[in-house]
Order: sequence, then structure tokens, then C-alpha cells
Amino acid sequence: MSESIIFYVLALFLIGGASGMITARRTIFSAASFMLAMIALAGMFALLNQSFLFLAQLLVAVGAIITLSMLVIVSVNISERYIPKEPHLGRDLLLGVVIAAPIVALIITALRTHFAASFAPIPDTFGTLASIGATLFASWVLPFELISLLLLAALIGAVVISRKGERS
Amino acid sequence: MSPLHFLLLGTLLFGIGLVGVIARRNLFVVYMSIELMLSAVNLLLATFSRIRGDEGGAVLSLLLIAVIAAEAAIFLAMIIALFRAKRSIDAHDFTQLSQEHNA
Repeated sequence: MSESIIFYVLALFLIGGASGMITARRTIFSAASFMLAMIALAGMFALLNQSFLFLAQLLVAVGAIITLSMLVIVSVNISERYIPKEPHLGRDLLLGVVIAAPIVALIITALRTHFAASFAPIPDTFGTLASIGATLFASWVLPFELISLLLLAALIGAVVISRKGERS
Repeated sequence: MSPLHFLLLGTLLFGIGLVGVIARRNLFVVYMSIELMLSAVNLLLATFSRIRGDEGGAVLSLLLIAVIAAEAAIFLAMIIALFRAKRSIDAHDFTQLSQEHNA
């Protein structure tokens, strides 16, 4: 019972934060709403017994990615006249909903027909750091190493892209 | 809670991100909408992992968080480079590829 109350409160924050992000006119308000949504998403992971994912989401997504985005938004400090005015925002959003609705309906139909109506029983250690670590290094070693290469490439790419802009 | 609630929520979040990408012109908001779509997929992976009682999905979700971090670094660098090139963060100012010819 209390679980479903927590679920609906978190869902409210998640949907509200996401909608606030795409409707806010000030960029920094968008980023703040997005941060709210990501914290609520971490709560969803906790509700799914994924305690390690909960920590990773809080530390990486909220603590690093969104903080970095907010830092860039405030430090680039784009003056008012360079920010797009978007006079027909309401009409554009309505058009977006019309385009996205069939796709969402299709995915929901597919998920409804193919997935079980109940959760499988799980051991007490499900989703803990030790258990996830054991799975990661038992059968996911190659993807793990490839991710480290991807991060390195992205880091070098980010430095190169932002320096190229400086020279011209 | 039934798994279906989580799946519906994840799909709805993906849809909201899609609307943001389609409708908004501010590059920062487009970037955050893409992040939101990736995070929605992350929620779906965590739910599948819980439905099957298989931790592979949770590991995949963890790796996806790393991919989101890489995407964030590249996208932010790109926004800064684009702003320096044209003094604008309006998506409608970057349409070279959709025009027939340009000076």
C-alpha cells in the first residue's frame, strides 16, 4: 500500500518535472525541472529494488551530468537576444504531441501484450553493489571495457570540438 | 505495484522527451529532451531486469548511464562550438543540410 503511494508521488514528480522541462521558457528553469525528474527517477530505481542503480543515478546523472549542464548554461551566459523567442510554443508542443502519440501508443500496446503481469521472486541480495559487481565482471567484462574506451573517446572529442570553435 | 505501471511511466517519459525534441528550438532544451529519452529507456531496462529477476538488465542500465555521460560531454561541447560559430542557440539557424545550396 505505502509502496503504491510512493510510486504515484514519484510518478507525479517525474511527469511534472519532464513536462516542466519542455514547457519552461527560461533555460535554467528547464534544467531545474529536469533535475527534479532525474531525482524522482532515482527513487523509481529504489522502488524496483535496484539499490546500486539508485546510487549510480544520483551520483552520475544528478550529481555530474545535470550539474555540468547547469554550469555550462550559467557560465556561457548567453544574452537574452540570442535565445530563440519561440512565439508559437503552444502550437509547436501540440504538433509534437500529435506526432509522438501514435509512437507512444504503439510501444504501450507492444509492452502490454508481451510482458508478465507480476514480478519474479528475487533473492535479498538482488541489485546490491556486491551482486551487480559479480554479474558485471562475470559476464559483462567486454562491454565494460568498451564503455571505458567510449568515455575516453568522448572526452577527447569534447576537448577537440570546443577548441576548434575557439580558433575560428 | 505491477510491472505495467513502470512500463507505462517509462513509455510516457520517452514520449515527453520526443515532444521536446520535435517542438523546442532552444538547443539546451533539445539536449535535455534527448537525455530524458535515454533515461526513460534506462527505467524500462531496470523494470525488465526486475520482472525477470535477472541482473543483466541492471548492468546494461549501468552501462547506459555511462553512455549518457559521454553523450552529455559531446553535446555540451557541440552547443558551445555552435554558439561560437553563429552566435545563436536556435535550432532554426542550423539548417545548412536541409537547403539546396548555400553561400
